[in-house]
Amino acid sequence: MKAATVFKSWEFMLAVVLVLELLVLGMINPAFLNIENLLFSTSDFAHVIIAAIGLTLIIMTGGIDISGVSIMGLASIVLGLAFIAGVPIGFAVIIALGVGIAAGAFNGAVVANTDVNPLIVTLATLFLYAGIATGLPTLLDMLGFQAYGAGGFEAYQYEGITGLPKEFTWIGSGRIGWVPMPLVVALLLAAVATWVMLFTRFGRYLKLIGVSPAVAHFTGVPIKRTLVTVYAMNGFAVAVAGLVLTAYLGSARSDLGSEALLSIITAVVLGGSSIYGGQGSVIGTLLAGFVLGFMRQGLLALGISSDVVPVIIGLLLVGSVALRIGLAKLSTARANRAAFAAERLAVEGNGGRS
Amino acid sequence: MKKILKSREFLVLALLVVMILAVSTVNAAVLRPLTLINIVNSSLFLILIAIGQMFVVMTRGIDVSVGAIAGLSAVIFGMALNAGIPLPLAMVCALLTGLVCGCVNAAGIVFVGIPPIIMTLGTLGAYRGLMRVLTGGSWIESIPQSIKTLAVTRYMSVPLMVWAVAALIIVLAILLSRIKAVRNFYAVGDNREGAYLLGINVRATEFTAYALAGLFSGAAAIVFTGQIGFVPMQTGSGQELKAIAAVVLGGVSLMGGTGTIWSAVIGALFLTTVDSMMIFLKVPGSWNNAVAGAVLLAIVVFDYLIRRAVRNRQLAMRAAEMHHAEQDHDTGFQPREAVR
Repeated sequence: MKAATVFKSWEFMLAVVLVLELLVLGMINPAFLNIENLLFSTSDFAHVIIAAIGLTLIIMTGGIDISGVSIMGLASIVLGLAFIAGVPIGFAVIIALGVGIAAGAFNGAVVANTDVNPLIVTLATLFLYAGIATGLPTLLDMLGFQAYGAGGFEAYQYEGITGLPKEFTWIGSGRIGWVPMPLVVALLLAAVATWVMLFTRFGRYLKLIGVSPAVAHFTGVPIKRTLVTVYAMNGFAVAVAGLVLTAYLGSARSDLGSEALLSIITAVVLGGSSIYGGQGSVIGTLLAGFVLGFMRQGLLALGISSDVVPVIIGLLLVGSVALRIGLAKLSTARANRAAFAAERLAVEGNGGRS
Repeated sequence: MKKILKSREFLVLALLVVMILAVSTVNAAVLRPLTLINIVNSSLFLILIAIGQMFVVMTRGIDVSVGAIAGLSAVIFGMALNAGIPLPLAMVCALLTGLVCGCVNAAGIVFVGIPPIIMTLGTLGAYRGLMRVLTGGSWIESIPQSIKTLAVTRYMSVPLMVWAVAALIIVLAILLSRIKAVRNFYAVGDNREGAYLLGINVRATEFTAYALAGLFSGAAAIVFTGQIGFVPMQTGSGQELKAIAAVVLGGVSLMGGTGTIWSAVIGALFLTTVDSMMIFLKVPGSWNNAVAGAVLLAIVVFDYLIRRAVRNRQLAMRAAEMHHAEQDHDTGFQPREAVR
């Protein structure tokens, strides 16, 4: 890749924005630039980045999965209930991740095998999974499982399940060197997803399906298998996000992360992914996730009420897309002008000769 | 007549009746007129925002901000009432708020070209945040009695608001079938480029759709405030998704170009009834969302299976016809071949 294309890329612009943002926030409040603080504050929004990475792969195919926020809560409550029921914590994590993958794969199976819009499918499963997550404790009671508490599992329907073992909460609050674990998990997933997108056939399939499902079909891309796999991968990612958040908060809840949907989609779209598919990058999503997360932290640190934050995130989402559309129009206009000039030159040159 | 019986709206309506009858075998209290009236009464909010959503979905768009618009309108409505503005004027304020919010969505989508889901997701955050900024995060209470009495006034034991919304729906249904410009929604949703080539003002049509979605959300806010009697911060939260679910359930395709006002009304009624039936079946309320999601999923997948079966049958018939034609060709048209 030429240096010029790197500098012109959306990812580079995001990186510049990120640096500028940190500098501005640092100028207003120097305490903000403390590396340790900065790194530690990522734990507050690492789950958004993790979920956004999964969604990036799906949006690449031109699909969407809005049920991810429900899967986060579902994975969290499954882990908590399994733990209460006496399952070893390692095994409980595997069960929760398995539920996440299954939930994602189910979305993918419906999307791949019908022509129903992915938005509608995952809208339905958004309700379905959220409902299962809130209803699971009562269901276990009805099935006659013995819970330790007096209120049975139902007591856990609205309050979180706490007392999770240290080995598990380490994922949320531990750190390697200076880097907190949630960030480690996010970076690790981003690296894997980038590798998948850039260096595997599967990654190319995703992009091709996003550009044109018909062409992908005629080229022999196994569309159904690819779609089910990518939705399952997203299910895995959001389940991880749910578990990381559970470990960070130290409490398993069924409604965990339900307010993160706007932030997740904003991170993906701000990261340069086109909602119509075929365009975007995991690095962009990662950078956009940092931009959004630090902005939120910065605004809160500046004493701006948290009520204003969604307004700003919303404006940012709309503004970034408007900016991209504007840039695209400019470059088309420039290309057209150049083509026109070249044409005129050719015609004039021709006229001179004859 | 046959067309009505075959329509998706009718299928869902039939399912609705079957569901109520089935539940009545377990708990006969469902069939009491008062129960049914109350179900309708509690679905008014969803019906109104679903009607607004329908216009947008008909043009192949989507508006996930309708719940937030309803919330913001309710806040303005409550503040206006508390400021001593007379009820009719306050209602106009609420409707105008909705309309303005809808127009903001429309401007971004139509004039800038931002994808509808992105634009309305952004304004969903913005409107909801604005709502908290305006109120400082506290509920609007001590709303004047005038609006609350309006909600509890019953006419032949049916609440006044049900009459009002029913009248609105009937008037709308008549208008929608009479006004020629309404066809533009279908044309734009079905084939945007084709509609443009036909000379339809595509931008104006799309703009109107989002503006109407905002306006109806404003109307829903009035109903909500009247019924609840105060404005909590959660007003309309999550309702945007229910509104989309309702219109899709009622048979409006997200691919645009289809749908009637009855789709929105019946879809919204169905979703609310499902919630109520859970109570009569003594299913814990925590399962409501799961059931609503499962029903929506089942209906759209079932609808797909029916459509596929119909298409396959048509294809098979056409294949058979072509097969016949080929045989005719082989025998009947042989001489012509020979002549050539």
